[in-house]
Amino acid sequence: MQPAPVDARDPIERIAGFAATLRDHGLSIGIAEQLAMVRAAAAMPLERAAHLDAAWRAIACHDPRDWRRWPDLFSRYWYPNRTRGSTRLSGQTRASRNLRQLVEELQDRLAAQQPGTARERTMDTAQQPLAVDADDAGVPRANAGASLSDPLHDRSMSQWLPQDLAQMESLVDRIARALRRRLTRRWRDAPNGARLDMRRTLRASLRTGGLPVHPVWRTPRRVAPRLFMLVDVSRSMETHAQFFLRVARAFVTAMDARVFVFHTRLAEITPLLRSDSATVQEKVNAVTAGFGGGTRIATSLADFRGVHARAQLTRPSQVWVLSDGFDADPPHRLAEELRAVRRRGARIAWLHPSPNAPVSEAMRAATADGLVERFHRLDSLADLAKLADLVS
Amino acid sequence: MNDDALQRSLYLNGYLADEALATTLWLAGQLERPLLVEGDAGVGKTSLATALAKARGQVLVRLQCHEGLDLSQAAYEWNYGRQLLAIRLHEGGTEQLREADLFSREYLLERPLLRAISSDEPCVLLIDEIDRADEAFEAFLLEVLAEYQISVPELGTLRARHVPQVILTSNGTRELSDALRRRCLYHFIDYPTLAREVAIVQALLPDVAASLTHQAIEFVHRLRREDLAKKPGIAETLDWLRALHSLEVESLPEDPRALSAALSCLLKTREDRFQFDAARVRQLFEGRQAGVAEHHAARAS
Repeated sequence: MQPAPVDARDPIERIAGFAATLRDHGLSIGIAEQLAMVRAAAAMPLERAAHLDAAWRAIACHDPRDWRRWPDLFSRYWYPNRTRGSTRLSGQTRASRNLRQLVEELQDRLAAQQPGTARERTMDTAQQPLAVDADDAGVPRANAGASLSDPLHDRSMSQWLPQDLAQMESLVDRIARALRRRLTRRWRDAPNGARLDMRRTLRASLRTGGLPVHPVWRTPRRVAPRLFMLVDVSRSMETHAQFFLRVARAFVTAMDARVFVFHTRLAEITPLLRSDSATVQEKVNAVTAGFGGGTRIATSLADFRGVHARAQLTRPSQVWVLSDGFDADPPHRLAEELRAVRRRGARIAWLHPSPNAPVSEAMRAATADGLVERFHRLDSLADLAKLADLVS
Repeated sequence: MNDDALQRSLYLNGYLADEALATTLWLAGQLERPLLVEGDAGVGKTSLATALAKARGQVLVRLQCHEGLDLSQAAYEWNYGRQLLAIRLHEGGTEQLREADLFSREYLLERPLLRAISSDEPCVLLIDEIDRADEAFEAFLLEVLAEYQISVPELGTLRARHVPQVILTSNGTRELSDALRRRCLYHFIDYPTLAREVAIVQALLPDVAASLTHQAIEFVHRLRREDLAKKPGIAETLDWLRALHSLEVESLPEDPRALSAALSCLLKTREDRFQFDAARVRQLFEGRQAGVAEHHAARAS
């Protein structure tokens, strides 16, 4: 057997290649992160090269979402042969990627370069974007999304006319503003608030000999509700998912909503929707590629409230499910899961593409208890406009 | 101190860090970057900072964040009382009092951030529950965390003599800004595995009988899989075992009603208490017995 060809590229370039892969998967890796990764590799004692996994994880991951995805991304890149059950690109042998060797070469190189010249090192990595682009060109990006079961196939997001987009954005803005307007009974400190907090002003004046040098002003506290959108991308929703994702994207921009897609499983796509690029659609396809057939709304909801939104599902939050309500889970489970979400204080709205509210068995159980606060049709911009009228 | 040594000395100070966490802590020291630790309540985020300070033999400076936390509570404040007093004292005298005299370090009250920055010795700064503070405060922190300096308009910029090791903790109740996240290294602490939790408990509560520790932790793990409003963390496990130990319980009894008072260490909301009545708890206990039987059967075969 022929040994795999050794990756002959410069170690810094190889790290840049890895960073580019991470970036492709939605992690935010800038120059600073890349530089820190190089510094971590340079500082890591050679016999501990395996610990680089943990060190880079701390640098590259910024939230629990990234954190959960890391082990997979890392092992796929550095140990492609260990990954089972995945298809690799055919026709090319992947150069071996050896972490220990990388650390060794990097440290040799830095030693040869007279260490301590931090500036030189910075310059090195500052040029890395070039290397990143070069690496990008070699790897077909959307290879994972080209399966027959793509929920969004042949429906390009670019079919939208600019005026439609503008209209949608203004509608979404209106809804976002209306949702934000909910006041609470609490007050918060604000330097230019309208109400004087007499108690605290007097208390503060004690320090200044009774002179109210620091008046404390207050203003009503507004809590922006967290909006969670759960978009059904199963086969039955194929024709609507594209529109739904467009709307979801507008909500991400307008009020920092968190967006999930589901059919048999659930995945968060908020980071993918943050950037408006032509590859968004392909990336969403890639995320959902391995999901298989059927819709499991209850299972997805359980995952959503138990793992992804566990800490954030509180009273002012809103959960919008964008689905036709056909569930492959046992019918009673949907009501149970909705009740669990409701118990956390979140309000649930169900947006469906059909003219009437969904009437599947699971949905009947759920609606009987009044768990869903609002059903609303969402199939076109006109429906979105009606929704905007309703909430504002 | 390399990561192995750090892991050992954390262990000696009562904190069992896994390898990844030790490597991350070591790296945070190497790169002089703050470390943001996230995880559910009670998994050991705050105690990590306490143990790290002990392991390094450094002082722990703690800033507890809350809603409405402002500069005067977090960084510094002028001591108006003393300034007024100084003015009064000088009114009768011949010496002229200049403004610069009044706005000097002497009249500056140091709050945790400034105390950490201006400390003569290296220290560990714990910024606890940063997700409870307002966004405005988070923005202010950026300067402190990136440059390790605080700007006081009347005095100028105060730079850290020793870069403190900063640990921020968050329960994830609010999304932190990207700017803050990107300035920090990140570590997510999850609930420990059974074996790890047993090791943690045995390290911290060596007096508790090993059989009780195993039984109790298996029960807690089963409890965590249930649909609870508040899952018990390691802190809760420790509390519960301390309670059981002080009740002189040697092993979990057949009838959980005897432990109903001690269970309040684990179940902390009314809903959870309501959901886990005696019958339900007994079910979970029995799950434990079945588990032990299976375990023995597996070992015998």
